[in-house]
Amino acid sequence: MSTALQLENVAIRFGGVQAVDGVSFAVEGGDFVGLIGPNGAGKTTLIKIVAGLLRPDRGRVTLGGADVTDEATATRVRRGLALTHQIVRPFREMTVLDNVVLAAGIQHTSSPFRALLHVNRRGEDERAAHILGLVGLAGTERKLAGSLPLGQMKRLEVARALAVDPKVILLDEPLAGLNHAEASKQVETISQVHRRGITVILVEHNLEEVMRICRRLIVLNNGLVIGDGEPRAVMADPVVHDAYVGGGMVSHAEA
Amino acid sequence: MYYIDLAVTGISFGCMYAMMSVGLTLVYGLLRILHVAHAAVFALGAYVTVLVANATGSIALGFLASLIATPLFGMAIYRLLYEPLLKYRPDVPMIASVGLLILMQDAFRILFGEQGVTFRSNAFSFTTFNFAGITISAVQIAIVIAAAVVFLGLHLFTTRTRIGVGWRATVSKPQIAMSFGIDPIKVRYLNFAIGSALAAVAGGLVALLNNLVDPAIGFVVSYKALAIIVLGGLGSVRGTLVASLVLGLVEAYGTIFIGAWLDRDAIAFLALIVLLMIRPQGFTGAKTA
Amino acid sequence: MTAYEISIISIVGINVILAVSLNMISGFCGQVSLGHGAFFGAGAYAAALAMVATSSVPLAILAAILTGCLLGIIVGFASLRVRSDFLAVTTIGVNFLFIGFVRKQSWLGGEMGISGIPATGLGASGNMIMILLFACATIAFSFYISRSWMGFAFRAVGEDEGAGATLGINAGAYKLMAFGIGTALAGLAGALYTFFTQFITADAFDFIFSVMLMAMVVIGGIGSTWGVVVAAVGLTLLPEAIRFVNDYRLLVFGGLLVLVIRLAPGGLAAMVRGLVLRVRGA
Repeated sequence: MSTALQLENVAIRFGGVQAVDGVSFAVEGGDFVGLIGPNGAGKTTLIKIVAGLLRPDRGRVTLGGADVTDEATATRVRRGLALTHQIVRPFREMTVLDNVVLAAGIQHTSSPFRALLHVNRRGEDERAAHILGLVGLAGTERKLAGSLPLGQMKRLEVARALAVDPKVILLDEPLAGLNHAEASKQVETISQVHRRGITVILVEHNLEEVMRICRRLIVLNNGLVIGDGEPRAVMADPVVHDAYVGGGMVSHAEA
Repeated sequence: MYYIDLAVTGISFGCMYAMMSVGLTLVYGLLRILHVAHAAVFALGAYVTVLVANATGSIALGFLASLIATPLFGMAIYRLLYEPLLKYRPDVPMIASVGLLILMQDAFRILFGEQGVTFRSNAFSFTTFNFAGITISAVQIAIVIAAAVVFLGLHLFTTRTRIGVGWRATVSKPQIAMSFGIDPIKVRYLNFAIGSALAAVAGGLVALLNNLVDPAIGFVVSYKALAIIVLGGLGSVRGTLVASLVLGLVEAYGTIFIGAWLDRDAIAFLALIVLLMIRPQGFTGAKTA
Repeated sequence: MTAYEISIISIVGINVILAVSLNMISGFCGQVSLGHGAFFGAGAYAAALAMVATSSVPLAILAAILTGCLLGIIVGFASLRVRSDFLAVTTIGVNFLFIGFVRKQSWLGGEMGISGIPATGLGASGNMIMILLFACATIAFSFYISRSWMGFAFRAVGEDEGAGATLGINAGAYKLMAFGIGTALAGLAGALYTFFTQFITADAFDFIFSVMLMAMVVIGGIGSTWGVVVAAVGLTLLPEAIRFVNDYRLLVFGGLLVLVIRLAPGGLAAMVRGLVLRVRGA
């Protein structure tokens, strides 16, 4: 089992705030990690750094052993990283199927020259239809992605992430905005993704679900890791409890 | 002495560019739209000034008429063209604006002739003064005075009057302004009205300066205004004023050096493109692109 | 065929190549370009110089394509830096810079342009056929791109670069490719134009012409090859067929552009598609 993702002393400052203040952790292949923490803890910023949407001021991000700290998002995706967005971003003008087919065709689109020489999409059409079935979107193929309700759009995000054949998937609040029934379906889909051997890193506010499915919780507060381990143990930690409920007064030194 | 003459030319052109460009930066600041058709508003102001002045014999009435007509035109452009297009990508209203500009320009050509219109009786244009060997025309003085009045007036308006303060608030912090009961739609109309009125003044003054209004009048200034508002920092009135004066002076002096291999009018664009590549948010960086 | 008909068809063919190639940049890939006339002009000048120097048609075509492409890629870099409306402004500037520069260069003929360009030797009919062949090839290429994975990626880049990145699509590379291909074809059109007129001045390649090309793309339907072809043919023939349109050309083009954007943003292609759907549903 190699290290799928590793952060070493990553830090970034913007808007006058130290959003991430020296975060380090390693995720093994096949792991199922939940990244949690109160509002403003730095979760989204950290995810953006891992995804390549932000460059850290210092520290390293390693993907499958390769240093990707300075690499663009598209390059990281080709290395096996997939991501979904907190605010969904489907290609609204394309059909649901095409959204996934384009993702599935990632090998063909590696360079414009390569893409120009390939026309055949039969293989990708089949794979995409299969993946849509997996996430419970069978039957919506021909609909315009922009016409889907939110719950289905969120599942489309996961479908696209699956289609690029990733080793690691970053899910940014995949349950946000979903009602109880939709959230359950989404959770089931995510579990399926994990069962295929893909490393899953999940950012979520919905603690109930996170506790249920994640094997490991990393807790962030004020840009620092304040908890890392088995979910129940982490949640029982007074420092973590305090971060969520109280004024962040208790530290590990005092507890 | 020649260099001071150039300075006078540069400053008066700069003042004119400023009055013309403010409207453009105001629209961008509020709606994030590049209101290219603003040049048509400017041209309309120039035409109305001359035509009414010729009809009534009074240049003052000409200016007054254009100060009434152009804000109406500007507001109509917002309501009929931009408002429905706000939901699209920003280049969509911009291209529509370009189409409108081209349409208006040809309309002016068809209605008023290729050669344009001139003032029937205009002693103003040809009055010049001589200060210690420097020649300054009355119109140039009028331009600078007008610009001073206009910008001072704008400053007072946006800091001392309730409407003006509300307008400024809406541009910089729309949510807060709304919670204070300021109607954002009324602010938009005000925005277009004031910007257009200023362009009208600029247009009338240019008409006086050249003693001529022809269909191409808006065209040449339009893209310079685009360059100016980016150079000055989009949405920043102060930045626009500075950038206008700088461009006026650079053009006046610049032709000495670059005139050999580049048209004077292209200078503005060269500066713009260079700047956009280095610093997409402009000099004062007021609002990012 | 009369000389008039031959020349009209030649112009139509050239405009089709220009509009279809602009559609690749602005339609397929969503990169606004209001400077297409400058690449057309650059190609025309390159071909003119090549013809004057060598009278070789293949060389002139090659020079035109390379010049258009190179200039296009340089401008394409702008699309990596600024957002869509500022890209539009930059491309407008390219028009003015091109003309402002060319008019001052004596080796490019300055304000007088280049005249007395050697003929291709094919005669007017031969030139026309060459133009039509290239036009057909351009249309076929456009359809091919549209169906290929490159066209697929173009659409993603045009709609949402960030989302495209999560699918591993390098937006910058695709934008440069779009510009490169589109402007190379514009350069080709420039060479064909030079062969046709044997005399060129910078004024033919101005901002107004670029806007007219964009009008053809918008009216035809951004992204639709056949729509753009119909619009290019129609809008080129319209001034010839209707005297009013010829005299008030800019009024009509500007007016159509505004009306289409305001009332039918998807252009002809969308209107026809909507009609077809309605007929099917009925």
